[in-house]
Amino acid sequence: MPGHRTKGFCASAAALALCAMLAACGGSGESVGGGGKVVLRYAWWGNPDRATLTDKAVALFEKRHPNVQVQTSYSGYDAYKQKLAVQATGGDAPDVMQLDYRQINQYANGGVLLDLGKQKAVLHTSEIDQGLLATGKVDGTQYAIPQGRGTETIVYDAKAWKDSGVPLPQKGWTWDDWADDMRALAKKTGKPGATDPGWSEDGFEVWLRGQGKSLYTKDNGLGFTADDLTNWWTFTDQLRREGAVSPAEQTTQLAGFVENTPLARGKATSDNNWDAPASGYVSFIPTGIALAPMPSGEDGTPGQYFKPSMFMGVSANTGHPKESAELIDFMINDRDAAKILGATRGIPVNETIRKETEGRLKDFDKTISEYQASVDGTLKDPPQAPPSGDNALQSTFQRDYDQVSYERLSPRKAAENYITEAKAELRS
Amino acid sequence: MTTTEIPAPTARPGRAATTPKHRPKREREGAAWVFLSPWVLGACLLTVVPMAVSLYLSFTDYNLFDPPHWIGLRNYTQMFTEDPRYWRSVVTTLEYVVIAVPLQLALALVVALALKSMKGGKAFYRSAFYAPSLLGASMSIALVWRQVFNDGGPVDNALGNGGWINKPGWSLLAVALLTVWQFGAPMVIFLAGLQQIPAELYEAAAVDGAGKWRQFLSITVPMLSPVLFFNLVLQTIQAFQVFTPAFAVSGGKGGPADSTLVYTLYLYDRGFVASHMGYASAMAWVLLLVIGAVTAVLFRSSRSWVFYASEGDR
Repeated sequence: MPGHRTKGFCASAAALALCAMLAACGGSGESVGGGGKVVLRYAWWGNPDRATLTDKAVALFEKRHPNVQVQTSYSGYDAYKQKLAVQATGGDAPDVMQLDYRQINQYANGGVLLDLGKQKAVLHTSEIDQGLLATGKVDGTQYAIPQGRGTETIVYDAKAWKDSGVPLPQKGWTWDDWADDMRALAKKTGKPGATDPGWSEDGFEVWLRGQGKSLYTKDNGLGFTADDLTNWWTFTDQLRREGAVSPAEQTTQLAGFVENTPLARGKATSDNNWDAPASGYVSFIPTGIALAPMPSGEDGTPGQYFKPSMFMGVSANTGHPKESAELIDFMINDRDAAKILGATRGIPVNETIRKETEGRLKDFDKTISEYQASVDGTLKDPPQAPPSGDNALQSTFQRDYDQVSYERLSPRKAAENYITEAKAELRS
Repeated sequence: MTTTEIPAPTARPGRAATTPKHRPKREREGAAWVFLSPWVLGACLLTVVPMAVSLYLSFTDYNLFDPPHWIGLRNYTQMFTEDPRYWRSVVTTLEYVVIAVPLQLALALVVALALKSMKGGKAFYRSAFYAPSLLGASMSIALVWRQVFNDGGPVDNALGNGGWINKPGWSLLAVALLTVWQFGAPMVIFLAGLQQIPAELYEAAAVDGAGKWRQFLSITVPMLSPVLFFNLVLQTIQAFQVFTPAFAVSGGKGGPADSTLVYTLYLYDRGFVASHMGYASAMAWVLLLVIGAVTAVLFRSSRSWVFYASEGDR
């Protein structure tokens, strides 16, 4: 290089130096914050109303634990699921995270989650129903704690159903009773009685369990055959052709939120959904909604079950397992936290707290609580956590049923396609 | 935008000869590299390295959670022999390219021709027609599109057929129209190309008694063919990679009945919804090769229909 420094070179050196400074200005995440406080990251999915209540509860936790600071973040379920997967693979999962039943297996087997059994000293589980608690276990290890309890329901427009003159749904009704009612409702009201349940893997599961079968076997294989699925889809497809349930154009729009359902849009009288999100219909049907149990099998076998509506888990990479476990214990077992949270994550899992809060619940929280009490003790144990492939199969199920309801494939052919895809998904 | 790739019909004046040449060449190159370094670093870290990783992952069963295992060509054989939805997505993408690209280019050309012959307000209308291209990249406009073509939306109210996006036969057209509507970029390029065509050619043709249509076919089309070719290549490449409109209009699912499940949407579904990153990587590489092949075919065909003005001198 020549000995003299040219203007051009000096300018470029200065430019590089500036870039370096800019880079240095970017903050870096540290798990110990100002004043030596322990900083926990806590992430969940939900709506703004859930966020307000959660932040309130977290503030109380921070007051009780002055050495801990909790950074919260939340988003909608789909975005949350994708973001969490990327964070988890990068070894950067939040210290405390909300998990769905479908995620437990994948995250536990992938080494993302901490064994919470080792945190018994601060995380108490004795007041949680043991069957429910077991849903957070994978291969005998407690990787996650259920945070709320939910079950499926037939939610209906109470006034429209009453006015139609069709007898109201009774506990213990069968799928055939349900189908007859849908036909009668369609005749009386001039619109479909319900959303076509054929799209929903959850609906199929209830139907299947009513026959004593299950979606998955104990060793994570498929628990049903192409014949079972063909029967289910033939059943729903027939009702759709008769106009007793919603047409394909409406069924295809279902995406897991209430606004898209025929019931909320005034195009059907009922819908099947989980009980906690059913509160979303209230604002669409001002004359009031009611909850009925899901239809059972021909011999009266109930198909629905109490499912953990969500879990809390701790990252295996957390630097603060004890504080993380304390936060979970607080959210689940603390009386004051329960007062703040209400039924925002489903009916509380802590039995003592549930009994205490029952009398205080208001509005739709009360409806859910009464509905759960009406079926409590009659339902069978929940299935074990679905295998990792189920996450993808849930949407495959809806896609394949689209082919049936748009009459592009026969129920038999679509069911065979699903079985092929499911086997490939569960193998990998 | 790489408009510099348009084969320029006019020769460049020799600017290099007039540039002062004080400094030694090596040092100027050094400074150039220093200034280029942010870009070079960015290209390496954000493009070259991820591409190499993606190529490796395409031969593995990587599922985001467990370490990837080498499975050789299994992703590729599964794609071609065991996955009917893969082939449906290929057919859907081809349909989309065949609908969207010609429609978009035709509209861009028609509007460019109209603008060229305008006397006043040209700048205003040029901006107005270009605006959708700026808006179109955003998610919000795709969501508006979904409302417009949904049942109960304006299109449903006007035509009364229940909205397009819930009809498997119509939904892809609704997605394609969103792309067609963003014809601003090719339009601006067409307009630039049209203004390059010497006016005396038209004058001579008019003297010879050629009508407007004859002038268009015999002067405008051949003189514009390099620009047309450039637009065709660019828009075809983009159309093969279409994602946002299909994702947003179908609510992220490629429905109804997989009718808008274009290639990249299925790739996204495999990678981020089903967590088969290895399979998704393999799909991405096949797409890259196919786009390369299609572009090569277009270039080869161009020899027989693209006319460069400079060829006339030979």
